[in-house]
Amino acid sequence: MKYLLHILVLSAALFWGACNLEKEIDLELPQYDSQPVVECYLEPGKPFRLLLTRSYSFFDPFGLDSSFLDKTLLGGALVTIAYNNRVDTLPNTLSLEFPPLKIFNYTGKNIVPATPGIEYTLRIVTPDGKEITGKTVMLPKVPIDSIRVEWNPQRDSLARILTYITDDRTQENYYRRMLNYSTLDSVPDQDFLANDRIAQTEVIAFGSGYELREGDTVFNTLFHITKDYYDYLESVQLAVIGNLNPFAQPARIKSNVGGSANPLGIFTCLVYDRDTTIIRK
Amino acid sequence: MLRFTAPLTLLLLAAAQALLAQTTTISGRITDATNGELLIGVTIEALGMQQGKVSNEYGFYSFSLPARNDSVTLRFSYLGYETVLRRIKTAPGAISLDVALRPKVAVLEEVVVTANSLEDKMKSTEMSVMTLSTREAKAVPALFGEVDIIKILQLKPGIASGTEGTTGLFVRGGGVDQNLIVLDEAIVYNPNHLFGFFSTFNSDAVKDVKIYKGGFPAQYGGRLSSVIDVRMREGNNKEYDVTGGIGLISSRLTVEGPIQRDKSSFIVSGRRTYADLITRGINQANADNPDYNPIPDYFFYDLNTKVNFTLSERDRLFLSGYFGRDVFKFNNQTFDFLFDWGNATGTARWNHVYGPKLFSNATFTFSDYRYRIRNALQGFSFSLGSNVIDANAKLDFYYQPDNRHAIRFGGNATYHEFRVARLKFGSDDGRINFESGQNFDGMEYALYFADDWSVSDRLKVNYGGRLSAWKNGPAFYANFEPRVAANYAVGKGWSVKGSYARMNQYVHLLASSGLSLPTDIWYPSTEGVRPQVSDQVAAGVQYLYRGKWLITWEGWYKWLQNQVDFIDGAELFGNNNLEGELAIGKGYAFSPLELEIEKRDGRLTGWIGYTLAWVRRGEFADINGGAYFPPRFDTRHNLSVVALYELSRRWQLTATWVYTSGYMAWLPLGRYTFQDVSGAPFQTVVPIYGDRNTFRYPAYMRLDLGVVYRWKTRRSEQDLTLSIYNATDRRNPFFIFLEPEFQTVGQDSQTIKIPTAIRAKQVSLFPILPSLTWNFKF
Repeated sequence: MKYLLHILVLSAALFWGACNLEKEIDLELPQYDSQPVVECYLEPGKPFRLLLTRSYSFFDPFGLDSSFLDKTLLGGALVTIAYNNRVDTLPNTLSLEFPPLKIFNYTGKNIVPATPGIEYTLRIVTPDGKEITGKTVMLPKVPIDSIRVEWNPQRDSLARILTYITDDRTQENYYRRMLNYSTLDSVPDQDFLANDRIAQTEVIAFGSGYELREGDTVFNTLFHITKDYYDYLESVQLAVIGNLNPFAQPARIKSNVGGSANPLGIFTCLVYDRDTTIIRK
Repeated sequence: MLRFTAPLTLLLLAAAQALLAQTTTISGRITDATNGELLIGVTIEALGMQQGKVSNEYGFYSFSLPARNDSVTLRFSYLGYETVLRRIKTAPGAISLDVALRPKVAVLEEVVVTANSLEDKMKSTEMSVMTLSTREAKAVPALFGEVDIIKILQLKPGIASGTEGTTGLFVRGGGVDQNLIVLDEAIVYNPNHLFGFFSTFNSDAVKDVKIYKGGFPAQYGGRLSSVIDVRMREGNNKEYDVTGGIGLISSRLTVEGPIQRDKSSFIVSGRRTYADLITRGINQANADNPDYNPIPDYFFYDLNTKVNFTLSERDRLFLSGYFGRDVFKFNNQTFDFLFDWGNATGTARWNHVYGPKLFSNATFTFSDYRYRIRNALQGFSFSLGSNVIDANAKLDFYYQPDNRHAIRFGGNATYHEFRVARLKFGSDDGRINFESGQNFDGMEYALYFADDWSVSDRLKVNYGGRLSAWKNGPAFYANFEPRVAANYAVGKGWSVKGSYARMNQYVHLLASSGLSLPTDIWYPSTEGVRPQVSDQVAAGVQYLYRGKWLITWEGWYKWLQNQVDFIDGAELFGNNNLEGELAIGKGYAFSPLELEIEKRDGRLTGWIGYTLAWVRRGEFADINGGAYFPPRFDTRHNLSVVALYELSRRWQLTATWVYTSGYMAWLPLGRYTFQDVSGAPFQTVVPIYGDRNTFRYPAYMRLDLGVVYRWKTRRSEQDLTLSIYNATDRRNPFFIFLEPEFQTVGQDSQTIKIPTAIRAKQVSLFPILPSLTWNFKF
């Protein structure tokens, strides 16, 4: 009986697979004009830096060579960030960060201060004379209060990790929670957005499944983010999911940069607490 | 309500008494002679007198003739039944005459409960209305062999379906929430199983389905685009029957019979799927394997029950109920997940005949739709749910002062309770607690009046109106809804019709996708969300060719106000301010050509339906910059051909052919690369969307074939139904997405994936699908 059931399920799977219900088609999309795309994260203790690129029509070809990278990076723009009654200019200089690899094509000499409450204003003039502007503010860090490792009572070789924070109930807060296993290079096991709109208590906990073993390393990052950044990340998720999931409603990208250049993207401060835990019994 | 209706009733009775002195009024009920079921739409004619009536939805008729003290023959005729003639003497006064019709021998095996004959349909002031018989429903080839009344309605002109295989109904440019679906007068909020792939209506329990697409009679209100009136069978009051069927997906069983022969009866009808029995067996077989992930359980069931009592010659009492559920659950040692949803409805109805000209129907109904998601994980728990509960009391009167007027009037009051998106998440010790959700209570009222007036032998007019009102907290709305329809008999076999109806809708379905999801939210009108309004005008011509082919052409235009949609990226859950996620706008839809050719008699029956229509929504401040756009279901051409052929008493052949223009889709126009922060992966393709729904999917086409083989034994009637869904194995588009192809570059552990091209891919849902169902009746 056991084998018969397996055979039935396998046969059904083979039948469905052989049905070949997916196929490639030709289609034409309406005309699309390229837009500049801004990614700027002001991280305390790191230089002011920004990535300015171009968008493409969906079917435009990719390239594996450096000319494609050159074409994607939008150079020759004038980039300035104003804060604390000063204006920093970010020259069109390429900088890299490892690991993981991150690219910035406009890099300043000054370091982003860690002071919460400072307001930053971005202004970019593109090579064709069009303007991009944006504003953001540095939020205070929300520290991780405690981490607890709990072992599965039914199967004690597996553990989960619980992360506790204290939420400020006097204002609306937005968070991005990330869990990377082994290295920060790895695709995060958890990466989601949260807000405290419906929280009834000060204490908030984030958890994982019982999937960790002894010796595993967990990078536990909690970002305290602005509503702009929350909306932007959510719209990116919905745009990606909307293309791949027939039950999802697509969404337009909610950028917090604007101006005559009709840009997309995000200009925000990156404030986070990160804990590294090695799972031990 | 009572203070108003009691004096009015007495006044009408007094008027009736005066008229009776000069007329003979014949009234009574018409039933099926084999099982006592009330027959709806039976034609009653006085031979040689050019006068005719039809029985109402409770099988009651009333017919007046001049009292000349002579004899007149009344003919009672109904498609699929033997005609009955009754000779009566036209003396002044009232005659009570109940008639039982016997099904024709040729189709005795199946209870044929069809609608008005084609001629009556042509003569009626009703337009934009269609009926569906259970016999047709069972014969039409079905997906997985599951007879689905709602999906057959999608084959009618003026009705578009949503996603393939689902039960969404988009009637004359209206959305899925703009259909009033009632089962024995109780509202069914979510008539779907399995995300819309099957409807909740068990065809064994259904007697009659009528759908109004326009020209709405005044007794109906509360939704903009259609009324789908589903009536349950009463049960055989003469002998016990057991019927049922075993199919690929589910099995059905119906038991019915008399409680007291000829006076009362019951019917209990159930249906259940059984895929979970197989998956549970597989899970059990692997229970010893610690690395085995159990297959989740899924099943659905429906239960319909009804009892009816003939209390006296003048009184009948009906009690009916429906309960249905979908259950999806998953348990293992640490995870306890449950997702269930479903409807419960109840109806108590009392028919009373005051006299030969006055009939009333007092009804109390109850509806409950809810869904619940619950998950527990070692010290934490999560629950999310919504429900809507209605309690409704209504009183309807039918008054026929003479053969030129058929008056309907009445009213109803409905209490609505909404529990919207109640979410709770937290730790068992209470240290962590998230909660959200909103509660609303609303009252909906209506009074209506309508007169079906035969102005002359050629001209009939149905005029009236409905006064509706809504109260929810400080929000109060009152609206008058005029209703008028006219039929002019141009000549033999020809009639011209026209109608206008205004409808108001006080309850809205917040649905974020084209698919009917059980988590879609029913939301009441508030101060911020005004009632939706529609105005629809329709004009049409009907021609009855050789008494067998009815050709109907209609053109219509519908204006829509206060349409509800979502802003981009709306958050529906964990949000105590849902109204902040809504966008309010307008819409319109029109069709210069909605054509139906139907044949109901003879070996070959069926219909051809074609619709050419446009649908638009717009003036939403936060969508498309306020510009008009086509919704997903703006399918330009819709063509359906349904043919049923009785080869012999044993064999029936069926075929359905459907052609639809492609749906509108919102595909991305551009893409960009999103680097993101440390710890998050590079996203090389983030879609950029422009205006909504600028792309049209390829056309949809499908051919279904079916064969029914019937046989009888001494104690039973049985049939085997073979359905072949999508017989040509055409790969129709269910979903189109744009997928990047990647190439891995680098060595050893230092590799990255680089996109090299984008491919457009089309996913189809159903290949050719044969199924076999065995049906029986003992």
